[in-house]
Amino acid sequence: MSVSAQTLEELARAGERTGWRAAVGDFIRRRPLGAVGGFIVLIMALAAATAGFLAPYHPLETDYGAMLAAPDAKHWLGTDAFGRDVLSRIIYGSRTALMVGLGASLLGATLGSLIGVASAYFGGRVDLVVQRIMDVFFAFPVIILALAVVAVLGTGAGNVILAIATPMVPRCARVVRSSALAVREMPYVDAARAAGYGHRRIILRHMLPNVMAPILIMATAFLGEAILLEASLSFLGLGVQEPTAAWGLMLRGAAVQFAEAAPWMAIFPGLAISLAVFGFNLFGDSLRDALDPRLRTQ
Amino acid sequence: MGYYILKRLLAMIPTLLGVAVLIFVLLRVVPGDVVEARYLTQGSQFQSQELMDIERRKLGLDQPLWKQFAGWMAGLARLDFGLSMWTGAPITEEIKLRFALSLQLAIMASAIATLLAIPLGILAAIKQDTWVDYAVRVFSIAGLATPSFWLGILMILGMLIFFKWLPPMVFTPLWVNPWDNLAQLIWPALAVGYRYSAVGMRMMRSAMLEVLREDYIRTARAKGLWLKLILARHALKNAILPVLTIISLEFAFLLGGLVVTEQVFNLNGLGMLFVEAIARRDYTLTQALVMLVATFFLIVNFVVDIAYAWLDPRIRYR
Amino acid sequence: MRRLARLLALAAGAMLAFSAQAQTPRSGGELIFPVPSEPPSYDGHREETFGLIHPIAPFYNLLLRVDPLDRSGTKPAPDLAESWTVSRDGLVYTFKLRRGVKFHDGADLTSRDVKATYDKIIFPPAGVGSSRKGQYSDVAAVEAPDSHTVVFRLKEPSGSFISSLLSPYNFIYKADILAKDMHWYEKNIMGTGPFTFVEHVKGSHVVGKKNPNYWDKGKPYLDGFRAIFMRDSAAQVAAIRGERAHIQFRGFSPAERDSLVAALGNKITVQESPWDCILLVGINHEKKPFDDKRVRRALTLAIDRYEGSKALSRIAIVKEVAGVQVPGTPFATPPEELAKVAGYWPDIKASRAEARRLLKEAGVPEGFSFTFTNRGIPMPYEPLGVWLIDQWRQIGLNVKQEVIEAAAYFGVIRRGDTQVHMDFQCGYIVEPDLDMYKFLSTDRNPANYGRYKDPVLDGLYDKQSRATNVEERKKFVREFEKRLLDEEAHYLMTLQWHRIIPHSAKVKGWTVTPSHYLNNMLDTVWLSE
Repeated sequence: MSVSAQTLEELARAGERTGWRAAVGDFIRRRPLGAVGGFIVLIMALAAATAGFLAPYHPLETDYGAMLAAPDAKHWLGTDAFGRDVLSRIIYGSRTALMVGLGASLLGATLGSLIGVASAYFGGRVDLVVQRIMDVFFAFPVIILALAVVAVLGTGAGNVILAIATPMVPRCARVVRSSALAVREMPYVDAARAAGYGHRRIILRHMLPNVMAPILIMATAFLGEAILLEASLSFLGLGVQEPTAAWGLMLRGAAVQFAEAAPWMAIFPGLAISLAVFGFNLFGDSLRDALDPRLRTQ
Repeated sequence: MGYYILKRLLAMIPTLLGVAVLIFVLLRVVPGDVVEARYLTQGSQFQSQELMDIERRKLGLDQPLWKQFAGWMAGLARLDFGLSMWTGAPITEEIKLRFALSLQLAIMASAIATLLAIPLGILAAIKQDTWVDYAVRVFSIAGLATPSFWLGILMILGMLIFFKWLPPMVFTPLWVNPWDNLAQLIWPALAVGYRYSAVGMRMMRSAMLEVLREDYIRTARAKGLWLKLILARHALKNAILPVLTIISLEFAFLLGGLVVTEQVFNLNGLGMLFVEAIARRDYTLTQALVMLVATFFLIVNFVVDIAYAWLDPRIRYR
Repeated sequence: MRRLARLLALAAGAMLAFSAQAQTPRSGGELIFPVPSEPPSYDGHREETFGLIHPIAPFYNLLLRVDPLDRSGTKPAPDLAESWTVSRDGLVYTFKLRRGVKFHDGADLTSRDVKATYDKIIFPPAGVGSSRKGQYSDVAAVEAPDSHTVVFRLKEPSGSFISSLLSPYNFIYKADILAKDMHWYEKNIMGTGPFTFVEHVKGSHVVGKKNPNYWDKGKPYLDGFRAIFMRDSAAQVAAIRGERAHIQFRGFSPAERDSLVAALGNKITVQESPWDCILLVGINHEKKPFDDKRVRRALTLAIDRYEGSKALSRIAIVKEVAGVQVPGTPFATPPEELAKVAGYWPDIKASRAEARRLLKEAGVPEGFSFTFTNRGIPMPYEPLGVWLIDQWRQIGLNVKQEVIEAAAYFGVIRRGDTQVHMDFQCGYIVEPDLDMYKFLSTDRNPANYGRYKDPVLDGLYDKQSRATNVEERKKFVREFEKRLLDEEAHYLMTLQWHRIIPHSAKVKGWTVTPSHYLNNMLDTVWLSE
């Protein structure tokens, strides 16, 4: 195997790069799309965190004198059927979206990764049984599984998180398992076993950290999907409930009915959802490109 | 090869059994049953506990759970799917028309997804990191990010306002009236196909990129062969495999998974039937639907696996 | 503003067009209408959903029906019974049946068929379900002394017996078929109605065509009808807007009406009416602090129904402020008197101050939190839920909403785990006996989810039911209402639903009534050019 000029340059450059600031700057320069995605994610997180300061009105505050008002100086994005400010509800809605999205994707990714890694580590019969069980859940279409969970547990934010996390567990488990299988063959795992380390320690300290890259990528992809799934469930009436501000909920009922007379009610929440999922996907995509050594350019 | 096929077939059985148990238990855990859904929902001033008990006995809901499960399994073995608890009609009758619609929609959407994903993915890979690549990726992810119901609402409203035209309201099978059939299904197929093309496009792009870096491609380039020729023969053949796999797997999910799309476009498909069956606690219908979708999914998986093994001998002998 | 003027002009025009009923009906055409839900079976005696009435009622006749041309939806009119008499003691009702009526298979209709039908409804054999059996508890027997006479013998005189016979679900079946198989009508159709059954494609549509041998010569005017099942209301509106369907018989929201009028102008006729449906707030008297009537009164005093009526009538299918009866009907309390009942005071500030005072007295702290359980149906449950929570917020109550999907809803409420919940009541005819039955003590009516016993209230109900003249009855109805809504605040009325039917201007001969269960036989309907 010859060492090309390319590789030499990379090695030299690698020595130069220091600190996370350079890494971020690198990321922005080399992956502009990912940077745009990351920027969107950042804005969303900020909005969610500072909703109390940012939003001009309380999201539950009704104003029967200003129902279905068009966007103007008082209400930048107009009001909805109860006279509630659309902008404020979108800002607070980012909080709900992030809470549900992060909650579901973290829960799904964590559980899925643990199952995937453990399954790969133990191998043999355990692996087979776990695989079969995951296959069973995998065979359900995502929204049907989520619907079934909601039917059992009821509606509301907490249950929605569980409902969305459920279909994500087998998907994450499958992906992580294949990475974990590769890690299992690594010499340091054998060494750890020879040294007499317990199963739990090996899984948590040796295997899990080395499959972080695919887990991270999965989690970001899940986040976008989780936000969409929450919007779909709320649209069907099975997700977060009124009067909480949630983007999917804002697209229901009055928004559709007044779509012609008061289009701002449907346009802005829809845009918010699209933008958020868009951002997470772009960011996650570029993250995957950055972390996957086989796809690096020059 | 024969052994491999047999192994894969046998592996489906425990999975199907698991699905059956899961849905059976899940439904019984959900609060409420079909009798309550029927008689407690209309605000009637007069309710009768005895009427509800009569109905429950007729449907066999007062029997112990294991007996109900055994009865269902026995029926499945005879390929008898039973009667819907809500309408009392044979389940095959309930499902027939909706299955035809959902299947056709799934096929059309997958075809559109493939037609979009493959050329776009190749384009993005060849022109990696140029504005063409960015444009394609943005276009693709925009499809993935847009909520399908929002897109559907906008589409229908747009058609109504700008073209004063509405798709047909009732489903006519393709062989009865192809024009009406396509006029109704092309719009949801486009909306769904556009969304799913993103997954395939991403796969196509990364598979293409991977292949473009392979040694033998570099060797062919070094030999001075015309780029197009190389791509067409070597790269494509290897890159397309994972893409087709992913699209086939997505296709399997499209059968019962288009709940929101069907609601927005008012399609009488399996997704809506699912939602209605669960909402009405129609155990037999829901169970039958789940088994249908799961079996379909496993069969598609199976076919893809076999095709993969046949095309790539390295897998067969593992 | 201009749009409002245009709407008013259209409405006025529509009303004028309607009073000028001097147009001659034209024969021909197929009426197409979307139906939001599909019937689980064809047996009217068993089902309780309008999803059955809309597509299936045209195949049958009733003994008596509500006059289809009367807007109040309260006048009885002959259907299969030509005339009837009541005995002096009010215990015997004798009906004379029409001659020359044939079932769709050619057999003649006789009193045997009517007797067999009502025996099935009132005295169902074991294993046969009859949803409205409880309505006829006063009936001792049904007799058929000769081939065209039917006699009902009652145990006690009842002012509402005729109304109970008007139920649109009491399809008259064939005695021979019932004798062979009591369950036949669940999956099959055989009636005497203006239309004969053609097909029902599951999940898609029901088609009926004109009965050439219908007893009412010259009717029906239509060649046939097509009922298409469409769950999504936006799709229904789109169908009417695209002129693919003529009318939807349940009702549309104000926004949907406005968009249809704006799009189709004078090709749309709008008929509106108060609706015999209302959402109520039910309170679980077994859960503290709701056993204390001060807390319940506070809940009703917090609600500004008048402002709610103005605001919500723009976005939901509700409108008028109501007590226990549909406003404008004979036994409804006039607005000036209603304003004295708690929760209907014109001065909302005083009302809310009183509410806060009551809460304090009852020991309920500021910011007290409870769960309001609502039903998972978008219209009008959602907007009313949001509104109620907002109103209670004004007196310092922090209310969370728990939404339960429709199928499981009443099962949960019945189990008695909820605190405050949304309940509803829909009737096919405005009649105090039927409308107020729900509020009787739990030992008399197990369907009372408030879980209370109030013998005084029960006594008032009985008094009004047995009253011999209208004025006396009105008095007792008012007293009942006062005790129910004011003194004890067992239940809270929200706002009366408002039925809005925008339909193609081609549809003639159909009059809106307060009930979406009525006037669906389609025999008087015709399509103009």
